[in-house]
Amino acid sequence: MNIYREEIIDHYKNPRNFGEMTNPTIRVFEVNTLCGDNIEFFLKIVNKIIIESKFRSLGCAISTATASMLTEKLIGLTIDKAKNISENEILTLLGGEISPGRKKCAFLPLTALRKALKTI
Amino acid sequence: MLNTNKIRLDFPILKRKINGFPLIYLDNGATTQKPKQVVEAIVDYYYNHNANVNRGAHTLGVEATEMYEKARQTVASFIKAASLREIIFVRNSTEAINLTAYSWGRSNISQDDEILITEMEHHSNLVPWQILAHEKQAKLTYLPFNKDGLLEIDKLDQYISSKTKILGLVHVSNMLGTINPVKEIILAARKINPKIVTLVDASQSVQHLPLSVLDLDCDFLAFTGHKMLGPMGIGVLYGKEDILNIMPPFLSGGDMIREVYKDRSVWNELPEKFEAGTPNVAGAVGLEAAIYYLNKIGLENIRIHERELTEYTLDKLRKISQVTIYGSMNTEIRSGIVTFNINGVHPHDVSEVLDKRGIAVRVGHHCTMPLHQKLNIPASVRASFYIYNTKEEIDKLIEGIRETIKIFKI
Repeated sequence: MNIYREEIIDHYKNPRNFGEMTNPTIRVFEVNTLCGDNIEFFLKIVNKIIIESKFRSLGCAISTATASMLTEKLIGLTIDKAKNISENEILTLLGGEISPGRKKCAFLPLTALRKALKTI
Repeated sequence: MLNTNKIRLDFPILKRKINGFPLIYLDNGATTQKPKQVVEAIVDYYYNHNANVNRGAHTLGVEATEMYEKARQTVASFIKAASLREIIFVRNSTEAINLTAYSWGRSNISQDDEILITEMEHHSNLVPWQILAHEKQAKLTYLPFNKDGLLEIDKLDQYISSKTKILGLVHVSNMLGTINPVKEIILAARKINPKIVTLVDASQSVQHLPLSVLDLDCDFLAFTGHKMLGPMGIGVLYGKEDILNIMPPFLSGGDMIREVYKDRSVWNELPEKFEAGTPNVAGAVGLEAAIYYLNKIGLENIRIHERELTEYTLDKLRKISQVTIYGSMNTEIRSGIVTFNINGVHPHDVSEVLDKRGIAVRVGHHCTMPLHQKLNIPASVRASFYIYNTKEEIDKLIEGIRETIKIFKI
């Protein structure tokens, strides 16, 4: 099962940076009501650099694993670099192409991140 | 069991491969596949008989009209309606219920009136009433169901009063699979309020068990062609003649009028009063062919076949500890719908694993968000059976579920 390789299952069952953040610089909530996935994104930004990134979510393996890997990627990035993260980079994180039906799951954390960064 | 080998030969799509595996179509609650006989009837109509209906004095126009009206007769006989005037062709169940809410609802619901539906309704038998209630400042209430997925009928007198103008009731729940005792509920409702009007959503029942509107004695009944081997785009609203007669039209324009003047119009008689514009004649012809097909098998036999499949599925599923099954385990009052969750695995991921093995199930909230809110789950996985499904296919479903549990190390 390509998409469900060990790494994805691991990030799903043991998501990194999972939990609430006290005093976040930004907090955003994004929902995909069609499938019941939702995600809450927290960012702590100092001198235009993301120094901490956390998330809470209720969702499928793909959206959870993506969010987990995304928060790892964000730490240390400038706001500008973070704003430029593309859909393709998300797919690379996940290890390649995913079926069209699951793209919304993969891009949910990215949508949340972009929404958060827009407020700056 | 039905002779599925023979039946499956009539459904070319069942020969398809999905991701290298034979298609195992377990999403009949969403839509059913179509037998050759239905597709050929539609093709025949367009190749040989197509014309607009009702005003054609030419041969083709007469033929098309006769075919359309013959389809109406077939539908009337199928649900044992007393008269052709009680069968209105619409686009689907959703439109049938919207017609009722718009036409009957707007003229009969006033401020502080009550509309009663149930907690297990499909959005199509919820949202139109919600909009009507908001508009008229009426109250929309919900008859609850218990932990076995059965309506709390003993509480009916707490939910019905002289203020309750209409009861909207699903016959078979598209999520729980519960077969509600509609006839008994309608009788009980009328005992409390003799004037109450009743609408039955038969979208998941009319094609799975024998049904008679005379027996149910409901005022309205809605069902849709594409969930019963028919094409998409055709559905039926049944309404008692007396009640339809006094309702204002829904959609207006051509065909639903007898006379039009600059300052007023005279409505047509039933059923045309509620069929504005060019109808879906091909759809009606397709629906008729579907009814013939189902009648040849026999609705009682379909019920028996599905019940065996459901019993088989529940029996295997209950042995998997990681699976939660929703609804009653009693197949006497459960239709061929099995909705479940694998604890710790999101429905979306379950569907992905199954799809990679050619198995089509539905995941999400199945247009029953309040029902899912009551069960406190965001979504679920639904397998729904029909005449061409087999025990071997269910074995594959179970294998797929076990595989999912392995992959996710649950």
